[in-house]
Amino acid sequence: MNSFSMYVARDSGLHKLHPLTKGLLTLLLLVSGLTLPGNWTGYFLVLLVITPLAVWGKVFRSFLRIVWGISLPFILSVVIIQSLFWGSGTPIFEYWIFAPKVEGALFAVISVGRIILVMAGFILFAMTTRPDTLMISLKQVGVPSSLAYIIVTTLQIIPRFQSKASTILDAQRSRGLETDGNVFVRARAVVPIILPLVLGSLVEVEERAIAIEARGFNSNKKETSLIEIPDSNAQVFFRKFFVLLMVLSILARIAWQLLN
Amino acid sequence: MAIIELKNVSYKYPLTDSPALKNINLQVNEGEFVALIGPNGAGKSTLCYTIAGFVPHFFKGEISGTVEVAGSESSKSNLHEWVLNVGLAFQNPFNQISGAKYTVFEELAFGLENIGVPRDEMIQRVNDAMKLTGISDLADRSPYSLSGGQQQRVALTSILVMQPKVLVLDEPTSQMDPIGTREVFGVIRAMAERGMTVLMAEHKVEWIANFADRVVALHDGEILLEGTPQDVLTSDLLVEKAFGISRYTSVARKAKELGLWKGNRLPVTLEEAMDGFAR
Repeated sequence: MNSFSMYVARDSGLHKLHPLTKGLLTLLLLVSGLTLPGNWTGYFLVLLVITPLAVWGKVFRSFLRIVWGISLPFILSVVIIQSLFWGSGTPIFEYWIFAPKVEGALFAVISVGRIILVMAGFILFAMTTRPDTLMISLKQVGVPSSLAYIIVTTLQIIPRFQSKASTILDAQRSRGLETDGNVFVRARAVVPIILPLVLGSLVEVEERAIAIEARGFNSNKKETSLIEIPDSNAQVFFRKFFVLLMVLSILARIAWQLLN
Repeated sequence: MAIIELKNVSYKYPLTDSPALKNINLQVNEGEFVALIGPNGAGKSTLCYTIAGFVPHFFKGEISGTVEVAGSESSKSNLHEWVLNVGLAFQNPFNQISGAKYTVFEELAFGLENIGVPRDEMIQRVNDAMKLTGISDLADRSPYSLSGGQQQRVALTSILVMQPKVLVLDEPTSQMDPIGTREVFGVIRAMAERGMTVLMAEHKVEWIANFADRVVALHDGEILLEGTPQDVLTSDLLVEKAFGISRYTSVARKAKELGLWKGNRLPVTLEEAMDGFAR
């Protein structure tokens, strides 16, 4: 599956769930992580809900690697900035102008929990859900099909775009374009590479529009779908339940805020 | 019976001064295979787009005259209804892949999904079409992992599966290598043999000679010549107007000047040339 997507094909129960069930569960985790009281909610949800789900989805190892790779820069910057720039508190140590504070570090650790929750939730969802099945299920709940088409094709076309850019780069180099050197040399090389890429893509867009039009894309008949997405009454129930929980946790948060 | 009928069709693209088509009159009968030839800019693609409904519905611009396919008139129809009657495939196979599907099978079903064909019938029609064009073995591959010839056969099959009455092909082999060309022409031949009406713009004269019932030569937006492949492809007018002609015709023409050609008419294909030189 040559596509710009995190999807990892596995035969697992998590993969077989309806995309909307997984999507709503992901949203519920994010909402509850951000609304529930307690400093460690993010960590608890990652450890007690998302991690077991990743194991169930048979993607735990690559899941861990991706989450780690993407979250690390965020974690580092949050920890460094929060602990260094915390206004007043107990310094951990003092060196020249640096005096990281304990309170800042604590706040950073709490924020990191929320960052990891958001990242882990979305990454697990993306790893276990085929983009096209997500789009089909979104269409079924009323998202316009042209919007769904744009999203799925973008995912597929990004790798093509990259390979075309490298072809153009090679072609321009073979005509003597300098692409190595200092910042100014490199900056000058951008125009002769970007311009053909963009102009060529505009021509392609017209052709592709004709091609999909020729295959009835704008037909006013009700669309059917080759891929059937398995669903069950239990899942329908759980989806409603997730939405209810989300609403409740938001309301609870608002009430709690008003009472204090 | 004429399934395609163009009467006095002239057309100008938006923002241009000179017409791309001038007073075209053309009739194509049901089941006929018509080839369109002409130098670049002669109006081959425009004529293809006109019959396929994209002129004027997609490109806009000024059109006059009437275009009829299977009894309905283009200007009174919508593009999304028109494409059910007329299928269009063109040069670049890569740009004809929808980009929304992960396997060839799903890609072929894309058009049927759009026009609301029930799932069971969809699977049946995709399987039948793949068998017809000989691409059943590609069903589970990604459309992007295929060679140019394979991609073009997928693009043709994706149109065929919609079961149009007329097939319009705009230089379907111009970006193919010889193997790809042979694969694609194999598919086109299979369709023609099943009685589909085909209108094909094409440069490869020797293939046309083998396939077409009739050849229409376009020049400067006008029909210059029309007739059997033999008559049109060996005409002196083509040489005069800088059309691409068969190398066998060129050789025989030279031979004729030198008094070496013994055949009664100029050849287009290798077989005809060998026959003439062997006398």
